[in-house]
Amino acid sequence: MAEIPQQRKENKLIEQISSKFEIEGTVQRDRRVWVTTSKDNLIALCRFAKRLGFHHLSAISVTDWPQEKIFELTYHLWSYSARILLTVKTKIDRADPKIDSAIPIFQENAQIHERELHELFGVQFEGNSDLTPLFLEDWDGPPPFRKDFNWRDYVRQKYYDRSNEREKPYWE
Amino acid sequence: MSGRNIMTDQMSGKNPTGNEQIEPATDDSTEYDFYFGPAHSGSGNFGVKLKLDGERVISARADPGYLHRGFEKLMEYRTPIQNAVISDRLCVLEPLNWNLVHAEAVDELTGIEVPERARYIRVLMAELSRLQSHIIWYGVMSLGLGFDTGFRLAFGYRDYILDIFELITGGRCYPAGYICDGGVRRDLPEGYAERIKNVLDKIKGFMENIKSFDNLFFANRTKGIGVLKLEDAIRLGATGPVLRASGMKTDVRKDDPYEIYSELDFDVPTEKQGDANARCTVRDREMEESIKIIKQVLDRIPEGKTRKPSRIKRPSRTKIPEGEVYVRNEIARGEACIYMRSVGESAPYRVKVRGPDFLHMIPVLEHLLKGCELADVPAIYWSLNICPADMDR
Repeated sequence: MAEIPQQRKENKLIEQISSKFEIEGTVQRDRRVWVTTSKDNLIALCRFAKRLGFHHLSAISVTDWPQEKIFELTYHLWSYSARILLTVKTKIDRADPKIDSAIPIFQENAQIHERELHELFGVQFEGNSDLTPLFLEDWDGPPPFRKDFNWRDYVRQKYYDRSNEREKPYWE
Repeated sequence: MSGRNIMTDQMSGKNPTGNEQIEPATDDSTEYDFYFGPAHSGSGNFGVKLKLDGERVISARADPGYLHRGFEKLMEYRTPIQNAVISDRLCVLEPLNWNLVHAEAVDELTGIEVPERARYIRVLMAELSRLQSHIIWYGVMSLGLGFDTGFRLAFGYRDYILDIFELITGGRCYPAGYICDGGVRRDLPEGYAERIKNVLDKIKGFMENIKSFDNLFFANRTKGIGVLKLEDAIRLGATGPVLRASGMKTDVRKDDPYEIYSELDFDVPTEKQGDANARCTVRDREMEESIKIIKQVLDRIPEGKTRKPSRIKRPSRTKIPEGEVYVRNEIARGEACIYMRSVGESAPYRVKVRGPDFLHMIPVLEHLLKGCELADVPAIYWSLNICPADMDR
């Protein structure tokens, strides 16, 4: 199958990154490149990507995999010049969720994303000095977006009055 | 420093109106805290903690969380057709655009070829929604600047578009997942084109009106206020009209085209100054571009099916194939994205919603408010066109 010109750009990007780092890269479709790397390479890879023109950190996301005992982090970077979305994926240990902060590269933009993920998933971003909660007030339970936090149980326990007969269907 | 003078007048105990002596302040500090929000009629459920010295803002800290509903977590327990309804609520002011982002994420995972007619309807609704959202922005901006006429005018004209939404989707503000996976929920009713064209004529009248107000108050209150330099805008993660007003010509509809945007003819308005006035100008011009797009769509819309599969299966039987996608859209406020991960069940395993206001309301706003005058806070605040719903989620 003949390659269309746009996808050549994506393949070249993977070649450029793999010449410097150990990665697994795929071109999902036009303008979408996914790259998996180790936790130690992540920051260096992001810095390299920024030099290639990926100035915009669109988002950082965490996926919780309790069975595999890992957190998967995805960094979505957009290049205004090449018009490609590069997603950098890495895995960290769920029992000791620590990773270096991306603040040296993406400054305030990374700071606020990391602050959110620390609150919702309990990931420690080392080097981020301001990880105060954003959304939840006086919350002292486990990070609520983790898969093992059962919010249905929590709501049942916390918000229904057991002595009230009319609320019985909710907590029973 | 007029603010400082007022404070010293008060401290020296002068009272211009009565004989009653004001208690002199024991502390000669002019610094104090000021809480902007969280229940202002225009700000939504969001607050900014300002530290003031006289009338100058020394620092600002955003205080989000009043509207946190945990949508990302809720979506992990629901099927796409249920999530489509949740995606309405991601932003109160432009639910159809968020419908579209969610539907595209599911479509990309399932690999369904959306019928041509549905693609046109999706773009039609997204652009009407953008127009409507910009009109609300004009309303709250006027309200913030103390121009009540503009507010009433804008919300009056917005209702014409809401009539169209009601006609097509059944809901005025919330379309209840009208744009869902595989297409749209139902076909356009008879006589829709005529009614939309009538409304567009009315909106054009509104835009003529607001142009005449520019010199009345808009320019005075917004020129040179809240200047966001291009390098700061990129660093802070600004997108959409805010970034374009700082001089970057970028638009997801052009750079990363989705639906049928690559076939449509429209411009991406930009400004160089990066101040509040530039942000207003960009939005004014974007409204014109949206009208242009809607007219093209109405002329070209093909006949055919509006959803694939046309019959909705039982939700428990439909599974989202395994995979992960990152979908980007341009909504009225900037870049809206959804990261969706599926493991082959009927509900997605993880959904991450990236709203433009998450960056606009925290880093960008804090950066712009630092060092400004208290009286300029509303102009800066509303020139960013912010809505707390997609930040808190």
